Amino acid sequence: MLLLPTPRARLATWLALSWLTFLIGTGLLAPWLPLPYAAATPDLLYVATPPTWPPDGPAHYLGTDALGRDVLAGLVVGAQRMVLLTLPAMLLATLAGTLAGATAGFWGNRQLRLPIAVAGWVATALWWTLALPGQIFLLVVASTLQLLSLPRWRAAARATPLVPYTFALPLDSLILGTITLLGAVPRLILLVVLAAGPPPTSLQLAGLLALLAWPEAARLVRSQMLWVRAQPFIAAAQASGLPIGRIWWHHALPHACRPLWAFAPLSLATLVGLESTLGFLGIGMGPDTISWGGLLATVRQSPAAWWVALAPGLALLLTLLSLQKVAAASSKSTAE
Amino acid sequence: MLKWLLGRLGQAAGIAWLIASIVFISSRQLPDGPEQLVISDASDLARPGASTRTAASQAVARQAVRERLGLALPVFYVTRTARHWYWHGTANQYHHWLSAALRGDLGRSYRDGQPVTTLLAQSLRYTLPLAASAAALAAGLALALALHLARTPASWWQRLIFSLLSGLQITPLFLVALSLLLLFANPEFLNLLPAASQHSAAIGTWQLVGYWLGVSVLPLLSLVLVVLPELTLPLAALLRREATVGYALTARAKGLATQQVLRRHALPNAVLPLLTTFTDLLPSLVAGTVVVEVLFALPGSGRLLAEAAAAHDYPVVVAGVLFVAMARLLSLLLADIVQYVIDPRLRPTT
Repeated sequence: MLLLPTPRARLATWLALSWLTFLIGTGLLAPWLPLPYAAATPDLLYVATPPTWPPDGPAHYLGTDALGRDVLAGLVVGAQRMVLLTLPAMLLATLAGTLAGATAGFWGNRQLRLPIAVAGWVATALWWTLALPGQIFLLVVASTLQLLSLPRWRAAARATPLVPYTFALPLDSLILGTITLLGAVPRLILLVVLAAGPPPTSLQLAGLLALLAWPEAARLVRSQMLWVRAQPFIAAAQASGLPIGRIWWHHALPHACRPLWAFAPLSLATLVGLESTLGFLGIGMGPDTISWGGLLATVRQSPAAWWVALAPGLALLLTLLSLQKVAAASSKSTAE
Repeated sequence: MLKWLLGRLGQAAGIAWLIASIVFISSRQLPDGPEQLVISDASDLARPGASTRTAASQAVARQAVRERLGLALPVFYVTRTARHWYWHGTANQYHHWLSAALRGDLGRSYRDGQPVTTLLAQSLRYTLPLAASAAALAAGLALALALHLARTPASWWQRLIFSLLSGLQITPLFLVALSLLLLFANPEFLNLLPAASQHSAAIGTWQLVGYWLGVSVLPLLSLVLVVLPELTLPLAALLRREATVGYALTARAKGLATQQVLRRHALPNAVLPLLTTFTDLLPSLVAGTVVVEVLFALPGSGRLLAEAAAAHDYPVVVAGVLFVAMARLLSLLLADIVQYVIDPRLRPTT
C-alpha cells in the first residue's frame, strides 16, 4: 500500500485510511465520548434549529432535526451502530465465503471422497436431533454401514487405489446451488423481506447481512482457487506426498485469498450501503434506533433543514469513497 | 437445444419455488402471527370498545380471524411438537397456498382483502415503464459515454467523468435520489419538479401526460445515474482493451478514424461480455425501484413490497418474492440464449 506511484495517490490513501480509523474509533468509543446531548432524547426547545455554538446558544454543534434530536450525537451513535453491524458482518461473510469458495474450487464435485460410514454418522446425528420415529431401525442401518465400510476401507489403504465403499461429496454443486438460490432475489429485497418481522437484534441483523454477503467472496475465491489448482506447484506438492488437507491449507489457500485484500473493503462498502438503506427505509430496527440512513430520512419532514442531511450524507459518502480508495490501493499493491 | 432449454426452465422454476417456499414457511414461524394485524385493525376501527373486552373474548376473536384467514391449519405436511411428529396430509397451509399458486391464485392481501395478483398487476403498471425506460436510457447513455471514454489519450474531462462514475458506482441509490429530491424538488431551494404523486382529478389528458412526465423525471434520473457506472465502466475498459488488439491496429492502418474503429470493429467484440452485465442490471433496478418509489411516493411494486413487508402482509410479500425471482431467473436464461445465438461457440454440446 505504501508503494503507490504518485505522492498524490499516496496522500489520498492515507487520508482515506485515517478517516476510516477515525470512524471506527468513534464507533467503538461512542459510549464514553463526552457529548453535550444524548442522541435519542429530543431537545424540544430547539426543534430543527441550524448549528449553534455555546456563546450564542446551546451546544448543538451540527444542529437538530425535525424531532429536536442532536445531529452530532446522532452521527456518533449511527457510526457506532454501523461499525458494530457491518464490520463483524464483513468479517464473517469473508471467512465463510473464503472457506466455501476455497473448498468448492479445490475439491470440485468429484475429488472429495468420504467413506460411506460418514453418511451413516450424519444421518444418525440428524435423525436424533430431529427426533424422527424409528430410531432403532436407523441404528441398525447405520451400524451395518459402518461394519460394511470400515474393513474395506482399511484394505483399500493397503492395496492399490481401490476404494469401493466411498461416495463423492458434490461440494462444488452444493455451494454453487446455494449461491444461485441466494442470488435469485436482489439482496435489498431479501433483506427487506427477512428483516421485516419483529425488529431483529443487532446480532441477528449482522448475521443476516453476512448471509447475504458471503456468496460474492465465495465466487471470487472459487475462481481464484480453480486457477491455483492448475498451477504446477500443487502437482509438485501432491507428488511429494503431502496430505491433501495440508496442501489445501498451506499452499493453495494463501494464493486463493490474495484478491480478498482488495475485495474486503468493497464488500464492506456494499454492506454499509445496505445498512444505511435499511435505516433510510426504517426497516429492521426499532422506532428509536438511530442510524445515518434514519437521520437522512428525517430531512423529508423538514426540507429546509439542510444541516440534517448534509452531515450524515457527507459522512456516508466520505466513508464509501474511502473504502473504494483503500480497495483500489490494495488491489494495485497486490497486483505487483 | 430444446432439451437444454426445458432443463434450464425447470431449474429456474424450481429455484423460484424453493425461495418462495422458504419465505412462506419462515413467515409463518414468526412469534406474533400475521393475524395480529387484522385483529388490531378490527379492534381499533370497527369496535372502539374492544380494549375493554376480556382476554377470553379476545382469544375467541383471534381464533375466528385465524380460521377465516386459513391460519388455523398446520403450516406444513408434517409438524413437530415437543416429542412427536404429526402427519397432516393435504390439509395444511402450505399445500393450500401451493395448489392455489399453481392455478394462478396468490391469495388475498391481509390488509385490504384484495387479490394479490390484482395488486401486483396494478403496481406493475407504474414500475415496469419506469424500470424499462431507465434500463433503455442507461444502456444508450452508457454506449455513448463508453465510446467516448475509450479514446486513448485521456483528456482532463474524460478523467473527470471517469472519477465521477466510479464515485457514483459506490454511492447507494437513496443518497443519490435524496440529493436530487432536496436539490430540485425542494420548496426551500429549487422547486422545479413535483416530487409527490398527487394531482387534481380535473385536468385534461395532455396535462396528465405532462404531469406524469414531470413526476417521473427525478425517479428516472436517479435510477439511470445509479445504473450507469455499472454499464459504462466495464464497457469502456473492454473497448480500450479491444482497441489495442491487432485487428484494431489494422483498421487504424487502413485510415479509419478512432471513433470508427471503436464503433465498427471494437464494439461488436465488446458486446458479448456486456450482455451479462446488462442482465445483472435487473437486481439493482428492482432494488432501486423499492427505494425510489418509497422516496418519491410512487404507487409501484417496489413500494407495495416494502409496505407489505413492514405491515407483515405476507401473501403480498411471498408473491412479490416469487415474481422477482422468476423475473431474475428468466432474464438470466434469456441472456444465455442471446449469447448462444450471437456466438455459436458457446452453444451447449448436447
